[in-house]
Amino acid sequence: MDHRPFNEWLLENKPLTAEEKQSLHSHLQTCTSCSALTEVDLALKSVKLAAPAEGFGDRFKVRLAAQRKTARQRNTAGFILLTVSVLAAVTWLAWPYLGTSLRSPAGMLSSWMTSLFTLWTDLRALLHAGWVVVNVVPSLLWALFVFTAATSSLVWALSLVKLNKVVQGVQS
Amino acid sequence: MTEEQAWIVQAQQGNDEAFTFLVEAYQKPVYNLCYRMLGEPEAAEDAAQDTFLKAYQNLTRYDNERPFGTWLLSIAAHHCIDKLRRKRFTSFSLDADEDGPVELPDRNAPDPEGEAIRKQDKERLHRVLQNLDPIDRAAVVLRYWQDASEVEIAQTLKLTVPAVKSRLHRARRALADLWEEKPKRVRAERKPYGSPAF
Repeated sequence: MDHRPFNEWLLENKPLTAEEKQSLHSHLQTCTSCSALTEVDLALKSVKLAAPAEGFGDRFKVRLAAQRKTARQRNTAGFILLTVSVLAAVTWLAWPYLGTSLRSPAGMLSSWMTSLFTLWTDLRALLHAGWVVVNVVPSLLWALFVFTAATSSLVWALSLVKLNKVVQGVQS
Repeated sequence: MTEEQAWIVQAQQGNDEAFTFLVEAYQKPVYNLCYRMLGEPEAAEDAAQDTFLKAYQNLTRYDNERPFGTWLLSIAAHHCIDKLRRKRFTSFSLDADEDGPVELPDRNAPDPEGEAIRKQDKERLHRVLQNLDPIDRAAVVLRYWQDASEVEIAQTLKLTVPAVKSRLHRARRALADLWEEKPKRVRAERKPYGSPAF
């Protein structure tokens, strides 16, 4: 049996002329496949909205409170874990020095001061070297470098924005 | 500013009472979508509650230009689709419903026979709906129960309008085939016991 125009008419739900309605009506008398389509359509339209049991809002409040409590507990546990981990890591790293510093605090202090002084001298040397490089390289080359860096950063930021666009409602 | 928009703004500022108004206003469409998608009242209640929790947690990300109902139903639909994909619910409903208690028609109703037929049709529809692909099912539920347009369905399910159209056609055709096929199968199974000739 040829269902072609009738199938489309039924699926599209387009308004029909009187003649088309008559021909559809005759077709539905003989075609079980197309009449099933109308039956399902009618059945779908006749079923009412299912409603939740009474007190849905109150149950939501309870669930929200429970969820908040769990989140609070998780945050507290996370904070404690982080603090303990940091303390453990610091103790582990400082363990070899602890004994020395306890035995001779002045020696330890002088060693730290020497390290700090060395760091300061190194930094100054690095800055001086940087300044020499800046003066040696032509300014056009610097401009080109800055332009390239800015363009790359812009492209990078734009791709990040595009890739991380928040899709409303989708929580996967 | 409408009353609903005022509630949304207040809820975004952390007013729980305002969000409760939104829950009360949208509980029925959200629950209905979850129920039609998952097929079980308990699972639907759970999914509807989760939907509102997710909405509450992401309220600051809600775009005020968009209808709140569409946004909420979008969360619900995706939540149910995820659940169905994870748990593969599709087969439970048929078996569970067939083994479950049978509701008898109300004898005091004005038309008990008609009432019984309507009830049977409703249950049959509920069962055939569970056989659809989750996204197609969501599209059908939004179309028929929420009276959503193809554009709204497309926004809710993150699909294009032609894709929604094609999914709805496919789903309605599949539903009609199942609708047509089901009684035949039942009749064929019952034949030996149904006719005195056997």
